[in-house]
Parts: sequence; C-alpha cells; structure tokens
Amino acid sequence: MRSRALCPRRPPRPWRPLFNTLAFHTGAVGVTIVFAVPGLWALTASLRAPGLPPPVGVDWLLPSPLAWWNYLRIFEILPLARYLGNSFLVAGLAIPLTVLVASWAGFAMAQLPPRQRHALLALAIVIRMIPLTALWLTRFLVLKELRLIDTLWALLAPVWMGSSPFFVLIFYWAFRRQPAALYEAARLDGMGALGIWASIAMPLARPATAAVSLLTFAQYWSDFMNPLLYLKSDDRYTVALGLRVLQQMDATNWPLLMAGAVVMMLPVLLLLLLVQRAFSPAAERGLSSPAQRGLGSP
Amino acid sequence: MTRSIARTLALCLLTATTLWPWSATAQAPAGRISFMVFGDAAEKAAYEHLVADFTRLHPQIPVTLVHIPGQGDYRKRLGVDFAAGTPADVVLLNYRRYAAFAAKGVLEPLGPALARSRVIKEQDFFPQAMEPFRWQGTLMCLPQNLSSLVVYYNKDLFERAGLPRPADDWTWDDFLHAARVLTRDTRGSGRIDQYGLGTEVSIFRLAPFVWQNGGELVDSTAAPTRLTLDAPAAREAVQWFVELQTKHRVVPDAVEEKAESSESRFLNGRLGMFLNSRRGVPTYRTITSFDWDVAPLPRRRHRAGILHADAYCMPRVTKNKAAAWAFIEFANSLEGQRGVATSGRTVPSLRLLAESPAFLGTDARPRNSRVFLTEIPFIRTVPVAEAWVDVEELAGEELARAYYGRASVDEVIATAIRRAAAAFKR
Amino acid sequence: MALSVGLAFTAYDGLSAPRWNGLDNFRELSADPLFRIAAVNSLVFVALTVPSRLVIALGLALLLQRARRGVGLYRVAVYVPTIVPGVAYALVWLWIFNPRYGPLNLLLERLGLPAPAWLIDHATALPAIAFIALFQIGEGFLVLLAGLREIPENCYHASALDGAGRAATLRHITLPLLAPWLLLLTIRDIIVSAQNTFTPALVMTGGGPYYATLFIPLLMYETAFDRFRFGLGAAMMLLVLGVVGALIWLAYRAAGGFGYEDEV
Repeated sequence: MRSRALCPRRPPRPWRPLFNTLAFHTGAVGVTIVFAVPGLWALTASLRAPGLPPPVGVDWLLPSPLAWWNYLRIFEILPLARYLGNSFLVAGLAIPLTVLVASWAGFAMAQLPPRQRHALLALAIVIRMIPLTALWLTRFLVLKELRLIDTLWALLAPVWMGSSPFFVLIFYWAFRRQPAALYEAARLDGMGALGIWASIAMPLARPATAAVSLLTFAQYWSDFMNPLLYLKSDDRYTVALGLRVLQQMDATNWPLLMAGAVVMMLPVLLLLLLVQRAFSPAAERGLSSPAQRGLGSP
Repeated sequence: MTRSIARTLALCLLTATTLWPWSATAQAPAGRISFMVFGDAAEKAAYEHLVADFTRLHPQIPVTLVHIPGQGDYRKRLGVDFAAGTPADVVLLNYRRYAAFAAKGVLEPLGPALARSRVIKEQDFFPQAMEPFRWQGTLMCLPQNLSSLVVYYNKDLFERAGLPRPADDWTWDDFLHAARVLTRDTRGSGRIDQYGLGTEVSIFRLAPFVWQNGGELVDSTAAPTRLTLDAPAAREAVQWFVELQTKHRVVPDAVEEKAESSESRFLNGRLGMFLNSRRGVPTYRTITSFDWDVAPLPRRRHRAGILHADAYCMPRVTKNKAAAWAFIEFANSLEGQRGVATSGRTVPSLRLLAESPAFLGTDARPRNSRVFLTEIPFIRTVPVAEAWVDVEELAGEELARAYYGRASVDEVIATAIRRAAAAFKR
Repeated sequence: MALSVGLAFTAYDGLSAPRWNGLDNFRELSADPLFRIAAVNSLVFVALTVPSRLVIALGLALLLQRARRGVGLYRVAVYVPTIVPGVAYALVWLWIFNPRYGPLNLLLERLGLPAPAWLIDHATALPAIAFIALFQIGEGFLVLLAGLREIPENCYHASALDGAGRAATLRHITLPLLAPWLLLLTIRDIIVSAQNTFTPALVMTGGGPYYATLFIPLLMYETAFDRFRFGLGAAMMLLVLGVVGALIWLAYRAAGGFGYEDEV
C-alpha cells in the first residue's frame, strides 16, 4: 500500500471552508430533492379524489378536497389489513432468523485462517452472483415436493442461507474489527465459540445487527417474486401481491394505487428512520474493515 | 295468462324436484372442498352467496372459496396449482383457456355424471354453451353462463346529444355516427375529454366484426392451421376496427388509454359506449351518476356474436369427487344459478332460468337484458385449441400496433399470419 | 441448480412427466424472435444502467463521504429509493410517467420542454425503465463509502503535499484504491440488472409496447408459468447464466483481477 509516514498538513486557505460547505450543502440538498420528489408526488396523488377529471397543473401542494378517505377505501376493497399482517409476520420472523444465521456465518468466517477465509469470501460473492431467476423453477419444484406451496414458510426459504451473502459480509467486517485480544481473554477463561459469539461479539456489533435487521425487513417486505410464485390463497397474500391485485382490479385508479403504494412504503421508511443512526459517521466505524485502523486513524 | 301460470308451475315443479333428492341423501357425500374463481369484488360477492346457499343445504360439505381477481393471474395460478398437484376441487374455467388442461388429461369429464344426474339434464342447457366444452366428444365441464358481446351505452349522454336509443338492428354506420356525435371536448380545454366509444383492443373483440362482414378468423375452427385475416372480407373488418382510432378518433388513443382506461371513463360518465360481455354488469350496477343500458352489437352483412362462457371443471386429482360433483350440480341447478344471476354477473346457461323473470324481469339494470338472449342463436366461438392462446395474444399485439397508428393494417396482418403459423405448428 | 440444468433439456409442462428432447429447446429459442428481442432488451438495459449506476454511486459517495453536519440525513435520502419495496416503487413511477396526468409530463410541459409518451412510446419505454433503476444505488453507495473510508488519510496528505489538485487526487489515488470495490460492484450490478427488470416490467408495461420492454426474466416467467413450458424456461435461464458469466469474466479481465484482496 502506497503511503508515506507522517506527512505534514498544509493549512487550507481561509475562504475555502465556507465555499466548500456551501457547495456541499447545495449539491447535497439538490440530490436529496431529486431523490425525495417521487415519494412526494405519490403522496399528493394519493390524496386526490378518484374519478375526477385530470389535474390541469402540477399539484405541488396538497390537493383539495383532501381525499384522505382513499386510504380507508383501499382497506375496504382488499383485505389489506390481512396482507399487511402476513407481510409483517414473514418479515418479522425473518429478522431474528437471518441475524442468527448471518452472524454465525460471519463469525465463523472471521475466525478462520486467511486462506480459507478468502475461499469462503469468494464463495459468498459467487453465491451472491447467481441470478435469482435461475432459482425460481427449481425452488418451485422443490417446494412442491415439500408441500410448502401456498404457505408462508415458502417465503422464508432464503433465511437458511442468511438471506443474502451481503449480510454475512456485514457481520464479517464487524467481527473482524473487534480486537482479537478480547476473544483471547474469553478463550482463556474457558468460553466456547458460542459463548464468545453471544457475550462478546454480538453486543459489540450492534450497528451491524441494526443494519442487517433493517435490510432483512426491507428484503422480505418487498419480496414480490416469491409470493407471486408460491402463494395462491387470498388470505396468505402479502402486501406486494396485494398492490398487484389492486392494480389489476382498476389499473388506472391512480389515487387508490398511490395510496396503496404509500401504505406499503411507510413501514420500511419508518424503520429506516429508526435505524438511521447506523448511517451516522460515528457508527460507521463499526461497519468498516480493519484496514482503516491500521493506518492513520486515532 | 295461462302460459305464465304454466311456466310458473313448471318452475315450481322443477325447483321441487331439485330440492327433493337432498332429503333422500342419507349417505350423502361429505367433506371440505375448495372452489376457485376469478372476477372483481362484485363477482366475488355473487359466488360467496352461491357458496352460502349450498352450505345451507349441505352443511356436511363446507366450501372454501378461493378468489383470484385478475384473469391473467388466474391462469398462471391454475397452472402453478396443477403443476404442484394441488388444484382446487372445483375450478372455474373459460372455454378459451381450458383446452390446454383438457388436452393434457388433467380434467375429469363431467358428461357421465351429468347423464346420471337426477337434478339437471343436458337438454336444460343452451347447446351453444355446451358445445365448446365437448372435448373429443365428451363433455368436460359444465358451463354456468353464456354471453355475447354487447354495447353498454350511457343513456344520459345519448339523450343530451339528441341521439335516439340504439335500435335492435342498428348498423355499423349508425354505430359510428353515434360514436362521433358523442366524442367532444366538454370542458373547452382544447382536448377531447369525452369519447364516444371504448373497447379492449384484442382479437376477441375484433372477431364478431370479422364474422359480421362475412370473413373468418382461421381456415378451420375445429383444426386451425392459419389465420385468415388477409382475406378481403376479414381485412375490411380489421380496417374498419382500426380506423375507429386512426381515422375517426372516436376511441381514446394510446396516451389517453394509459392515462385512464376506457372502462374507467365509462364508469365515470365520460364515455358514450363500451363493448363488453355480461361480465361488467355487477360493477356497472354500482353506477349512480347516470343511467345506462345495453344494446346489441351493430350489424353488417350478417349478424354474429361471440361466445363468452365459463364452466365448472373438476380436476382429475380431486380427492372428494362426490362432494365436488354435488357442488357443481347445485351450482348449475335452477337454485344455484339463480343466485349468481341475481348479481347480474351471468346470463344463465339454463334455458328456463334465462327466460324467466329472475333474469329478464328484474328492476335492476340493464333493463334490456333480453338482448343477451336474442343474440344467442347467432353466437360463434373462437377455435378451442391449445395453440389458440398464443395466437390470440400475438395477433392482439399486432392489432394494437395498427390500432394505435404505429403500423399499417396490411403490415400487421402479414406479420400476424407469419407469427401465427409458427405457433400453430407447435 | 443441477435440476435447472437438467430441465433445460426436457419438455416439461408441470402436468405430466418431463420428456427428454435434447437440444430442441435451444433450437427453438434461437429461432424465436421474441427470445431474441428479450435478449437484446436485457443487454441494452445492462449496458445503460451498469455504468451509470456506478458513476452515480461513486459521485454520491465522494460527495457525502466526510462527516459533516447533516450528512446523515443526505445519506438516508440517497438510500431511500433502494429500500422502497419494488412493487410500490414501480407503481409510483408508473404514475409519474403517466403521459397525460403524471407529474413529470405536467412539469415538462410547464417548462416548455418536450413531454414524450414514456411507457407507451416504443423508443422511450426501455430508457424510462432504465432511468428508474438509476435511483436505486443504495447498496453500491454504502460499499463505496466503506471503501473510501479505507483510504488512509496519509495518501491524501501526501498528494496534497505534491501539489495535486482535486481531479488529480481522484485519478491517481482514490480511483485506483477503490478499484477492487468498483469491480465488485460492476459484477454485482451486471447480475442484478439481469433480473431486476422483472417487477418494473410486469407492473409498468407488461412487456409492451410491442415488446419494447420484454426482458428475459419476464419472458421466462411467462413461458414457464403462463404457457406451462418449464423446460423452455430452464433453457432460457441457462443461456442467461452463460451470458452473465461471460460478461463478468470480461469485466474481471478488463480490470486486471481483484487485487488488494487481503484488505477486504
């Protein structure tokens, strides 16, 4: 790694910081607006009364009359509450299972000697690469044999692999950064791997757990393909299918469709806000790799 | 007077004999069965009533209703079910879709059971509904309804425009004239916001017009090998259909259709006429802002309608066949069909019921329900073959290209024929 | 996986037992115009989205890498489209792209710009679907953030001492050190792009207009589950795997291998 030891720092020019800050904030706010506007448009569209002639201009402000009853209506047309329940059930079950499996795998990987570690790493990456579409058919046939078609368990099938190699990697990085000395001490005390994992590794990896929980929830909440293929009874549907059903019932009823979309997005966004501390700079260090600590950081 | 008394008596007798065997079923079939249907919310409600009626009479056969809203998804779901070996015990199938299943032998033929039945007889049904469900001579499924394509029209818009009610024998020209009058810019915004006509753009909608003009869709309905839309009569009909958009502009164009579907416009009173089968009635009955009714398809050289029929089918893997048949039998008896007919969803396949006040004489709209019956003798079907699903879909894509002005009629006809040839060969 | 490979050589409709028919499936696919269209569409999509997404993710990571006031909020905003459920995301964009009533076209008209028909126009449908994928760069963004943090401060100090400006720093320090991450992301994106088209295509266009947005996953789904031709679907999948593998190998060679593995 190219580096030089202890390079003296040149003092920056005085007006640069202000200019930098301004430029930064302008750019960042611009980006935020571009990324957030679609959601805003969805919200305003959902509050318009259905069946009216089209809007003539862009509705930047909330429309009047404010058709908030659209949100009630979608619960009437579809058993949306039940769909939400099913989605929560699947996503909720998936989180602890995934965290368990992924953290175990990450922990195991972190303990291995470099050779095997790299091999497993490569394997994880390769697995990540298999297109999901390749697995549809075979998974369908396997589930058919196991008689799991039309059960919510079919949707949880990916859990047994940690839901995604990416999650394993997140835990792997988190564990790698934990000081080996702690583990050594625990081992000397006679703790086994499970003990170390439970009492030392996991508590220190809270940001990683939070991140993986959020991402797992999002993954299972958004899952569309698997319910589409494996569920057939109306009362097992998840929200993703529910939206599709809504679309098929009335494909151009935009206010209702947007209301449905907003309802589907809210839980995930709320969770994101709750967990967003994981994105703040302080917690980042919990996710970074060990290289950082080697050179230059305090 | 005596005729109606006789008819009512006949009805009563028939109802009595329908109910009679139930009391004599000591060793009755029992067990839970599942029943899979498609349709929108109003249709679903109709089937729920049917199930409730049945369970009242047969409390030992609880029925689970499985409802799939979209027809497209329904087909896929059915395919997945059959592949998994777990289809519902009784499934509703359209005659255009059941060929694939019948050909693979996964359906239990219902003909023998019908022949043995003491409740219903084959002669009770309209032959036009039964025909398509005969596969190589055996009756596979029991049709619950048959409907032709009709024109739903907004009576208020017609009156306001000074148009007369559509006559029973109105022609293509009358039809086009009405559509033109009704296509206007009502808000003065410079853009057309009310269209005279709306229709799904598909071969299925095009077919009756081709037949009315004396043309044919395929060389042989029984064993099709070639699309024959290039013959002059057929081509003329295709041209006329396409020109509704490209020349006369009485239907929404691609952009307008994507913005708001034709059916939605009709429901909101912004469309003069909409082509549909009886399927639309339960939803249209929820309309309160204007009055509507149905009219027959306009005529050309001949009269022709196109069959829409759904039937109750029983998969071969159904375990409790006796219970499933009991349900199918009930659903296609006068009692069973009456319930669903009251929802407006079906034109009953039982002749007696179709001609009774239960279907014709109700106060509910459409008042002119008689139209559905007068069209029956002229109903024709599309080919019932495995390859037809593919052909219909790809020909529909080609038709849409011409309809929305992206290609010429001759070009799409040629492409459709070429692509269909490949599909037929499979 | 092995089952899939085997299936590719049979004619299996799910209802009766599979029938071995050798290379027939592949022969049929090579003659099928729809398959060719779907393959081209998928490749075009990959070509459009993979480089753009990488550039956008990199740009955003560079912009938001330092710990500043409010950066947490901005990062969250960038991540939101990635975490929004696919179906809801597609529906929202379906509304936005609505040619008559959608906010995008209303805005364009207000500004006097041309307002194309987006999802109905054969020429703009695919680009539109590619466009919405450009917002979902959250994962890449996070990975690059992590990668940027790895670059020791010393290197930046050293280059500043040498008098290097921003652009030079970028070219000579940042990018080379990020190379393994960029390669990883490219590979991952190629794979993801090959299949992420399913939900948008299904929800927004159904493959239309006239097959402009027919992608391989959608075609596979229709073939297998609508036409009950699982064998053909499996054959398609094999071909896709082959192409994806080839693309990945190409990317790998172009970048000269991973390098810096021990720092991962």
